[in-house]
Amino acid sequence: MPNTSAETVRVTIDGHTISVPKGTLLIEAARRVGAMIPHFCYHPKLKPDANCRMCLVEVEKMPKLQTACSTPVAEGMSVRTATTVVNDAHKSVLEFILANHPLDCPVCDQGGKCDLQDFSHQYTATTSRFAETKRIFQKEYFSPLIETQMNRCVQCLRCVRYCDEVMDVKALAPVGRGTMTEIKHFGAHPLDCEFCGGCVQICPVGAITSRLSMYEYRPWMLKRAETICGYCGDGCQITVQTKNNDLIEVNSAYGAGRNNGDLCAKGFFGFHATSHPERLTHPLIRKNGTLVQTTWEEALEFIAEQAGRIKQAHGGQAFGGLITGRCTNEELYLFQKFMRLTLGTNHLDSSARYGQMNSVQAMRRVQGTHRWTVTFEDLEAADVLLLVGTNITETNPITGLAIKEAVKKRQATLITIESLLPAIGTISNIANLSQHHFCVSPTLFRTAILGLQKAVVEQNLVAADLTQQRSSFVTAVTARLQQLSWQDIQTATGAGQETYAAAAQALAKGKRVVVVTGQGLLRSDQGYAGAMNLLDLLLLLGKLDQPGCGLAPLAEENNDQGAIEMGAVAEFLPGPVETTDQSGRDRVVDIWKEAPPATEGVALIEMLARAKSGRIKAMFIVGENPLASLPAPLEVRESLDKLDLLVCQELFLTDTAALAHVVLPVCSSLEKDGTFTNTEGHVQAVRQTVEPSGEARPDWEIFSALSGLLGTPLDYTESREILKEIRSLIPGYGSLGPAPLPAKADRATMDRYLSRGFERDLAGRYQMPRTPSRPDGTVQIELVQSLFHSGKLSMKSKGLIQIEGRSSLRISPRDATRFGLVDGNRVRLSNSQGEVTAEVKVADRVPEGHAWFPDHFSQEVNKLFACVMDTETKVPYIRTTSASMVKVS
Amino acid sequence: MTLSEKYKDEIAEILSRYPVKRSALIPLLYLAQREPGYVTEAAMTEIAGLLKLTPPQVYETATFYTMLNLKKVGTHHIQVCKSLMCALVGSDTVIGWIKTKLGIAPGETTADGLFTLTAVECLAACGTAPMMQINDDYYERLTEEKVDKILADLRTAGTSPLKSGPYMWPESTR
Amino acid sequence: MPKHELVLLKNMMQPGYTGSLADYEKAGGYQALRNTLGKIAPTDVTTTVMKSGLRGRGGAGFPTGVKWGFLPKDYQGPRYLCCNADESEPGTFKDRQLMERDPHQVLEGIVLACYAINAESAYIYIRGEMVLGSKILERAIGEARAAGYIGKNILGTGITVDVWVHRGAGAYICGEETALLESLEGKRGLPRVKPPFPATHGLYNKPTVVNNVETLANLPHILSRGPEWFASIGSPPKSTGTRVFCVSGHVKRPGNYELPMGVTIRELVFEHAGGMRSDKPLKAFIPGGASAPFLTPDHLDVKLDFESVAAAGSMLGSGGVTVMEEGTSMVWAALRLMEFFYHESCGKCSPCREGSSWLVQTMRRIMARRGQMQDLETLTDLCKNIAGRTVCAFGDAEVSPIMSTLKHWRHEYVTLIHEAEAANLIRPESMGTRH
Ligand SMILES: Cc1cc2nc3c(=O)[nH]c(=O)nc-3n(C[C@H](O)[C@H](O)[C@H](O)COP(=O)(O)O)c2cc1C
Ligand code: SF4
Ligand code: FES
Repeated sequence: MPNTSAETVRVTIDGHTISVPKGTLLIEAARRVGAMIPHFCYHPKLKPDANCRMCLVEVEKMPKLQTACSTPVAEGMSVRTATTVVNDAHKSVLEFILANHPLDCPVCDQGGKCDLQDFSHQYTATTSRFAETKRIFQKEYFSPLIETQMNRCVQCLRCVRYCDEVMDVKALAPVGRGTMTEIKHFGAHPLDCEFCGGCVQICPVGAITSRLSMYEYRPWMLKRAETICGYCGDGCQITVQTKNNDLIEVNSAYGAGRNNGDLCAKGFFGFHATSHPERLTHPLIRKNGTLVQTTWEEALEFIAEQAGRIKQAHGGQAFGGLITGRCTNEELYLFQKFMRLTLGTNHLDSSARYGQMNSVQAMRRVQGTHRWTVTFEDLEAADVLLLVGTNITETNPITGLAIKEAVKKRQATLITIESLLPAIGTISNIANLSQHHFCVSPTLFRTAILGLQKAVVEQNLVAADLTQQRSSFVTAVTARLQQLSWQDIQTATGAGQETYAAAAQALAKGKRVVVVTGQGLLRSDQGYAGAMNLLDLLLLLGKLDQPGCGLAPLAEENNDQGAIEMGAVAEFLPGPVETTDQSGRDRVVDIWKEAPPATEGVALIEMLARAKSGRIKAMFIVGENPLASLPAPLEVRESLDKLDLLVCQELFLTDTAALAHVVLPVCSSLEKDGTFTNTEGHVQAVRQTVEPSGEARPDWEIFSALSGLLGTPLDYTESREILKEIRSLIPGYGSLGPAPLPAKADRATMDRYLSRGFERDLAGRYQMPRTPSRPDGTVQIELVQSLFHSGKLSMKSKGLIQIEGRSSLRISPRDATRFGLVDGNRVRLSNSQGEVTAEVKVADRVPEGHAWFPDHFSQEVNKLFACVMDTETKVPYIRTTSASMVKVS
Repeated sequence: MTLSEKYKDEIAEILSRYPVKRSALIPLLYLAQREPGYVTEAAMTEIAGLLKLTPPQVYETATFYTMLNLKKVGTHHIQVCKSLMCALVGSDTVIGWIKTKLGIAPGETTADGLFTLTAVECLAACGTAPMMQINDDYYERLTEEKVDKILADLRTAGTSPLKSGPYMWPESTR
Repeated sequence: MPKHELVLLKNMMQPGYTGSLADYEKAGGYQALRNTLGKIAPTDVTTTVMKSGLRGRGGAGFPTGVKWGFLPKDYQGPRYLCCNADESEPGTFKDRQLMERDPHQVLEGIVLACYAINAESAYIYIRGEMVLGSKILERAIGEARAAGYIGKNILGTGITVDVWVHRGAGAYICGEETALLESLEGKRGLPRVKPPFPATHGLYNKPTVVNNVETLANLPHILSRGPEWFASIGSPPKSTGTRVFCVSGHVKRPGNYELPMGVTIRELVFEHAGGMRSDKPLKAFIPGGASAPFLTPDHLDVKLDFESVAAAGSMLGSGGVTVMEEGTSMVWAALRLMEFFYHESCGKCSPCREGSSWLVQTMRRIMARRGQMQDLETLTDLCKNIAGRTVCAFGDAEVSPIMSTLKHWRHEYVTLIHEAEAANLIRPESMGTRH
């Protein structure tokens, strides 16, 4: 935790004297002695605005009442919060606020959780002296998801301030003046924004509410459960509210979770996938070529029988398994145990393979951890932040808020290497906050990193003790960097020596330097080398093992980090320890009382190849849909068609599931218990909030049941028992505290790396990536994460579909002009792989020559992509291609 | 035509006055209003782009100030001061005259789009009340004949010599 | 000084004086600047102004030199001066005359103030409606720049002061200094919560001084003729110098009269402004702009200086004196001003925002003879509940017309209510509603 100013002051509030940190606001100090000062405009996340005047208190020696929300405590201050004068003031302010407030509580969704209602109950008489006409605003349509009822507004501006200060979106405007001030959006169309739901959550009254749950409930009818959002690696805590097992609303409480009450559109509006009518409710089995409904017994027996037969005939090597990083740790753990012990194979993989593996492997090699050495708090407290290929607003929006906080509120220096132009749009753009922005194509992120490294050595910014003690490392890296020419770097990245020098200076000057990287880099063919370069950069600067410093790779899927730690990948046993690591194996054997198979496993792409060649005969695919997510040249269908047994555990009948012999319906994360490990390595409890849909079961129960039928029972009666086993085996799962205890860089590993360990692939990592050629008439197409979608669940959430219901190819305004395109036109994209058509949308933030296609709508465009595999980490690279673009009339 | 095409140099000059771009917002809104008499949605979007603001930020500022119109007003925008100091010496009568002469009440525009009448608050001419402002010009110490003449001038010439020069009241030296 | 020696209006009162640079120089203009810049240390300029006793002419009457002294001494970055030319207080029209008739006097004051506080940029925030004034100022700035009084390296001293005119766009509240700063930053003109004060966190969060036009226009004279000279005028020690009083309402010769502070209202109205316009006697007057409480004929001998007017229960404010004759309805007059305040409340604080709408509606109802006795109690309560509870002084200002008329002319309210009761016009819904 960052150390806040140690200075304290003593203040007396209603006779209680306490010590609080200097700068604490009176309203917060009062809370500590149990005095709750009524307020509307104050919110701890926002800068005080003191506009509602509700929080007036008496401060000794001050002639007027003071607003507790904006007055910092001073040494010796004496404050009274409950005198007659203060009470009268509260009453009178409330009388003013109520004057124009409509009396529509019975039809107001805020009823029962309304600050105005509560304070009125506390302070005012039941009749009003206000005998005049109440202010009335014309009702205006606001947006499909957010409803406004401006007559109820108390003009505290919390929504507007939140949208600006926290989100940096600035979509809301207080319009007009005086009593007629009204919160609006701009333009004749509905609100267009990040739809984080922040305005709904922060409104103290019912002026801004969610349309998804309009008129459906009164707060006291709702059952609440705290769990973790299943969408991205940020791991936000959410409160799921249900009425008779119906999902009504999701929100998040201030002070709760790693997100501290903030959410993104997916978290706030995306909860309806669980109750989607297309959910699978019964097991399906293939009979005469078609999938038909069956019983769990028949399905499981069929699988056990077939699997048993295959194992007998061909051995464990005939099996392969793939699981999604959206499963709980318990499920991931049991999956790999099932694959390894019951079926006898290491051929298993998870979605962490798509990118997260790159960063984990790099961190293990250089600093001996598989996790961050920093926390979200360190991001907020950082004085210099370097972002590389994060696409952070869209991919990890809540981590993005920490970055915004650091830059906007704490004046951190932000350096960004992103394929993104700074431009104001309807969703926030991290490049706008950056002091040193390098707008670089994803294929060239590494070039920009090399530029920074080169500037560091040339500006003599290498840490002195490193130069002295690790001269071989410094010399070798320096020599490599000197071979690169500034000319080439400038041509590739558009930024020259001086720009890099300035950014390098800033990095070196920082005391708390965090490098954040994301899937833009990690899912590219430069992913592993790029992560290594970033770690080298931190080493050179002497920051890698400094407190508050480190590398923070962002996980895209909510539990990718957990998948690796649970050993749900071919090369790792739980820990993660390498399958070949003898002492690690021993520890596993100790717990399992049985040895995992010795033959090394293969990763996803090789598994599919083996399926196609017939060496793998059965596959268990859990929550993944390789047929839709992998590009055509991989011929996934051909591979899967060859299998003697394909079992899919799914929420919906996906393309892949449609090919299966047996499809088993499983629980969504709202329907089961367990844990998720978020991107910073924090393990958090997932709790059941609704009953499973139909006969759906948690994935772990299925592995457990099958293992029994196959004669190697992995017996657990509830997921907590699995967690207990995980705790005994994997460090970091001991307790589920409120904040993670970050891992520490391991000295011995660093020493090993700095003496010889760095040499292995030095030449490759210090070579500039090839600049892809982009002939006229072509664009470089990238699959990018959309803020509103993260995969099949988001596509089944009615709220998210209302915001973004179909795909469009985002192109730059310049290309729009060049190709003669406007919003809504269709283009034909073609390359040697294939041809598709797509609708275009012009977006200021897209760099010229690039075209972004939203991932998860990508099935069609997948035709255009090829696949390259990282030889070191086996990560398949499938995100970028180039194609010629022509307008279709 | 966009504002940047039309007023390129003027915009550059305005921007050069301030170390922080957003300060140029009101001057640019005036520029946008100069010809059409009001600020269009397109202009606000363009200004947002020029100043690196979001359109709602431009909008919220524009709606705070009474002199920025978001809707069309007449060619001659007659604004009669109705605050106490003018009212003491007859501003309500002035409004009455204009109402009858032009057939419009405050807030309305003549059918030909020539005149809009607005009753406004104090315009810092209380010593020379009653008074009104029409577009950029002040007209003070109004009498009925003066009002007639001003309206006639505006109709025929688009401007009136009766408008005030640099303020000085009382005029005579003591 | 003879009783009526003019200081600020002196030049413009000369026949043929146009306010051009040439005229101003001929009248001795820019001598103070020549003799000060680079010759007297900036801190000594501040000391001189402190000694003169000059207090702000914008309304609050804060000692100008003291305000300058609040700027952080060792701060390295930019500092700003904002000339408050928003003049929107009903009853006030002196800054307009100072700017339109003798713009260089204001500019010289601005450069001197910038020198004293070490600012290189000054913005004149002029109310948007004063298009002519802004053009005149801009022309004058051009002249002064060409002559080397403004710009880089003024008169070879190495001192830089740039001055720009920034037009507001119609919002009384932007005369409040922090709202002015917000507005100048391109935002809605909402007052800021203080502290921090502009002296440390002003324009763009930098140390800033906001001074009224008339305040600044006094500077060349103080520096030319010395602080002792200035301090000897008016009602020393606390109200020194002259004031340009703006007289409006029912007088024969309304207008701007520059007189030493401490002149009585009787003298101002009856000797200078020509007395009442008809034979009706004076019934009421406001001594310092719309924000100042009404006073009665009993107060005709109150001296127009900060302390005396305050002692009489009002304030000297902006120097706008509005005179009302017998026969004027005080309820109507208060309502007119309340309508102004309702129209101009920025809406930031709930007491002011909601209170102004409540007050104005109740006043309209009473005026329309639909009032009730209990309304008077409500009015009093509301006024008390607004005053002192808002971010800026607008809240205190807006209640003064009603508070003071209720105090001195309560019977007029009562009469209207009696008429209402007689006509039985009370609406049933006005008997109080449930929340
Ligand atoms: C609601 C309100 C309106 C004001 N309007 C003006 C104004 O129009 N002109 C002005 O000079 N000061 C005005 N002031 C006073 C300023 O806040 C500030 O005190 C003044 O500009 C400081 O300059 P001075 O010290 O030279 O008087 C106003 C204050 C308030 C609270
Ligand atoms: S007192 Fe009135 S004018 Fe002043 S900040 Fe509050 S709402 Fe605005
Ligand atoms: S909470 Fe303090 S003024 Fe609103």
